[in-house]
Amino acid sequence: MVTEDEIRHVSGLMRIKIDDYKEYIDKVNAMIAYFDILDSAGVESEEVSFHEMSVSDLRKDSHIPFDGSLIDQLKHYKGAYVRAPKMSR
Amino acid sequence: MNLRISALEYAEGVQNGSISAEDFVAGTLEHIAKVDEKIHAFLSVYDGAVDRARDIDKKIRSGEKVGACCGMPISVKDNICIRGEKTTCASKMLEDYVSPYDATVISRLRDEDAVFVGKVNMDEFAMGLTTEFSAFGPSYNPWDTSLTPGGSSGGSAASVSAFECVASLGSDTGGSVRNPASFCSVVGYKPTYGLVSRYGLISYANSIEQIGPLARTVKDTAFLLDVIAGPDPHDNTTVKGGGRYLPGIESGIEGKKIGIVSEMTGEGTDPAVASATSDAISRLEGLGATCETVSLDMVKYSVAAYYTITATEAGSNLARYDNLRYGYDLGVEGYEFNSYVEKARSRFGPEVIRRMILGGFVPSAGHAGRYFLKALKIKSKLAREVGGAFEKFDLLLSPTVPMLPFEIGAKIDDPVSLFLVDINTVTANLTGRPAISVPFAVSGKRPIGMQLMADSMCDAELLQAAFALEQTVRLPEVPL
Repeated sequence: MVTEDEIRHVSGLMRIKIDDYKEYIDKVNAMIAYFDILDSAGVESEEVSFHEMSVSDLRKDSHIPFDGSLIDQLKHYKGAYVRAPKMSR
Repeated sequence: MNLRISALEYAEGVQNGSISAEDFVAGTLEHIAKVDEKIHAFLSVYDGAVDRARDIDKKIRSGEKVGACCGMPISVKDNICIRGEKTTCASKMLEDYVSPYDATVISRLRDEDAVFVGKVNMDEFAMGLTTEFSAFGPSYNPWDTSLTPGGSSGGSAASVSAFECVASLGSDTGGSVRNPASFCSVVGYKPTYGLVSRYGLISYANSIEQIGPLARTVKDTAFLLDVIAGPDPHDNTTVKGGGRYLPGIESGIEGKKIGIVSEMTGEGTDPAVASATSDAISRLEGLGATCETVSLDMVKYSVAAYYTITATEAGSNLARYDNLRYGYDLGVEGYEFNSYVEKARSRFGPEVIRRMILGGFVPSAGHAGRYFLKALKIKSKLAREVGGAFEKFDLLLSPTVPMLPFEIGAKIDDPVSLFLVDINTVTANLTGRPAISVPFAVSGKRPIGMQLMADSMCDAELLQAAFALEQTVRLPEVPL
């Protein structure tokens, strides 16, 4: 079970402003209650498998030229800078 | 203008001069204007498509070589980027976002002279199974507009079914191509993970999602896969060695061994769907295949594992939407940074918020061992079980969805009931296997699709089997 406080905490971490936390409690709890089925799968000793990829196979981290002005795509910018709200009041 | 033709019939007609690309695309746009008020498949329609089609006709008249698509009108799910066009993910959060680049699948289709007629509806950020979670309202099933078309690629399936295009691109994270394909009686394909580039697909759950075609026939699907599949330097998860899919598609399935997955065909399956499944088994046996039941124990837990993993990945993927680099018009003046981001992100719809809350909860300290880690273990064990099944069988069969298409609104307030619509489709995603939904029956006005799944990189064999099954049925036309 997830409480209103937990939903408030998690939504804060996810940077979501919710006006009515209670609205989410029932449905999120129903989802989490369904996930309890995972307890009966008996996979405690199972190893998690991963697909490994060599660093040499990764694409180069290089600049890709763009034939336009990307900054013009933004709603708020000044010169070559993204406009953002101030970091503190 | 007869719009009720397949993609390959269209291409052949344009090449032999019996169809004008311009007339066909213009006819398609007129048809969209006429029927989409009822279906609401499209979020945006490109009137300039006719100009592109006219250019194709000119090229043909002047003897220039044209690409294999010959100007065929294609719709695109609104989470796949087309340069210079809106890509909203059916979200208010991205309602003004214009993509500055083409997804790789779009570039490949453009290179073959496809014409994009518009972007189609979906559940917001592909989180849903009915399109009811679209911020711009649901799409409706062309077979019966009181029914959902399925989702999340519901706009794609509805647009193909309603002859608003000859084919569409969707994305499949847990069945989002196959489920609506089944509900709308079209073919829907989820390729082997890595076969098709995800570059330019707005991420929901990167580790399992794939772009896939929806089309009228299995041959059309194979044709489109030939165009869009293949390694891409922009996507490191793409794989080599795909081959070609349309050549050899008529090879048949004589001697193939098909496993009938008991966990996907038993309790909870609608009687009409169960009857159709038995019929499909008989027909496959009639074609020379042998069918035998197989049990995949982990399927019981697959939906819970799937939603745990996807919520976690979605929580991470959607963290980038701070409305500063892309989003909608919300002025920054007067806001402190964090309160601005919180305010901006309140535009996400309720289902996206629920899944982000889940995505914050299930991998968090104190809960990760119980939920996320266990889900990853189930995914690993399921992959081993499926691998074991493919040592014995060439293909696995089940109904695509264990229930008939249902009314809009019927499940929207019951998230767990909605989850279970995915029970037969998530296995292919969690294990990276290819799977296809083939239209097989219609019960009243409610279509039923059969799902075939094959081992990784056996996409050609899967399409051959799907073609063979498709040839055994003659279905009624959509009652538009």
